[in-house]
Amino acid sequence: MPDFLRGVVLIAAKDLRIEWRTRTAFVSALAFAVLVLAVIFFSRDPTLVSANAIAPGALWVTFAFATMLGMHRAFGVERDRHALDGLLLSPVPREAIFWGKWLGNLLFVAGIELIGLPVAFLFYDLPGWSRLPLVAVVVLLATVAFVAVGTLVGAMTARTRHGELLLVLLLLPFLFPPAVAGVQITARLLEGRPLSEVAGWLKLIAAFDIVFLALASLLFPATLDE
Amino acid sequence: MPPDNGAFMVAAYVVTAAVVLGYVVSLALRLRDERRRARN
Amino acid sequence: MMTVERANRLARVGQVITMVALAGLVGVYVRALEYTPVERMQGLAQKIFYLHVPAAWATFLAFGIAGFLSVLYLWLKDRRIDLVAEASAEVGVALSIILLTTGPIWGKPIWGTWWTWDARLTSTLFLFLLFVGYLLLRGAVTDPVQRARFSAVIGVMGLALIPFIHMTVYLFRTLHPDPIILKPSAPSLPGAMLVTLLASFGVFTLLYAGLVTQRYALGALRELRLEREAHAAG
Repeated sequence: MPDFLRGVVLIAAKDLRIEWRTRTAFVSALAFAVLVLAVIFFSRDPTLVSANAIAPGALWVTFAFATMLGMHRAFGVERDRHALDGLLLSPVPREAIFWGKWLGNLLFVAGIELIGLPVAFLFYDLPGWSRLPLVAVVVLLATVAFVAVGTLVGAMTARTRHGELLLVLLLLPFLFPPAVAGVQITARLLEGRPLSEVAGWLKLIAAFDIVFLALASLLFPATLDE
Repeated sequence: MPPDNGAFMVAAYVVTAAVVLGYVVSLALRLRDERRRARN
Repeated sequence: MMTVERANRLARVGQVITMVALAGLVGVYVRALEYTPVERMQGLAQKIFYLHVPAAWATFLAFGIAGFLSVLYLWLKDRRIDLVAEASAEVGVALSIILLTTGPIWGKPIWGTWWTWDARLTSTLFLFLLFVGYLLLRGAVTDPVQRARFSAVIGVMGLALIPFIHMTVYLFRTLHPDPIILKPSAPSLPGAMLVTLLASFGVFTLLYAGLVTQRYALGALRELRLEREAHAAG
């Protein structure tokens, strides 16, 4: 067990350290988030649609794209055949590879979200800053399974022709349930409604998380060459 | 008096036939090519 | 094991089945257009029903089989299973095009709108996107064993996703009920209409079977040829 956990942390740390060296993906994801928030803000008729009404959707679209930017980067490193082989030959247990990559991806995306959320609150002049932590938790919950699917799909598309495009195309359908649920929950929370009102959506996210975390980790070995 | 929407019916029946025939022909052509290559 | 002779034979069987199905389709067309009564409330456009519903059935049949075979492949690792899954997915794309075009064409005169994001339509759209993604992934991977494995993975994931899509829209709908849309009620079908519908179901199922058989034969022939070429080169 300790070997497994150590493997997970090692792999996550390695990925994050590599990313931190250039910080390109992180910075561009942040810049992209700001751009998307701005464009969506200006895409409405302000007399008809309040900033509050459009904020949840804007938030989630932003996070979706930022996540996808992060996913491809995560496997960019392994595009060099030998890097992945090196991982497989190392004493790190196989199962740890998936969870390690997942953790690295999750921390990357969480970073974007944790910066993007207060920025969105600022830009859209959202009321209820007290609700920000709760919204953050919901966002994270919805992200968890999506990142798992992204890790899995990223492993398959890393070394294929048109990998980025394929990754996005394959991943987007899986974004639909957590994003819709996330938007609904965020909208209610920003209105100050209690969590009990969004129980159905929370259950959906929970079920999605359980199913796809399990599925992604079970299927990941099939993406590795023997 | 039923509504006058026959044009939609025609459109749907034409599109369906087009897709079916299009795919059948596409398959037939690809199969023919592949069989030719198998013989050589 | 697959051989060129066997693949050719399968192709011929598939062609025969497809021809029979096409003849049946002509019969359904004639019967639906000429010999089935016009529905009084909805008019002629209602007849799209005789194509749309069986196409839906065939699409979901194609999808279900592709998904199920993906799971099976991961377990049994027989490449023939992968080839059938591929065939089913491609035929499924064609069928879902029929579904996604006849649907709006039917919806406009009957419901007043080309598209409505209800659970069924949304799920179908995502199904189509998953099919396309599946086929694109196959196109991008060159090694056949890796291709089979990756396709199976996406197949299983896609299979698991569709119920969630459905649930998401359903939850949305129950909390945000639509303004009353004019929906065709689902009454018990009078005899003549029922016969036409059932005949169409049969034809579409047969068409699916014939097309998948041919497409499988095509895939098998291609694999055999690529293997031969690889041996000759290597």
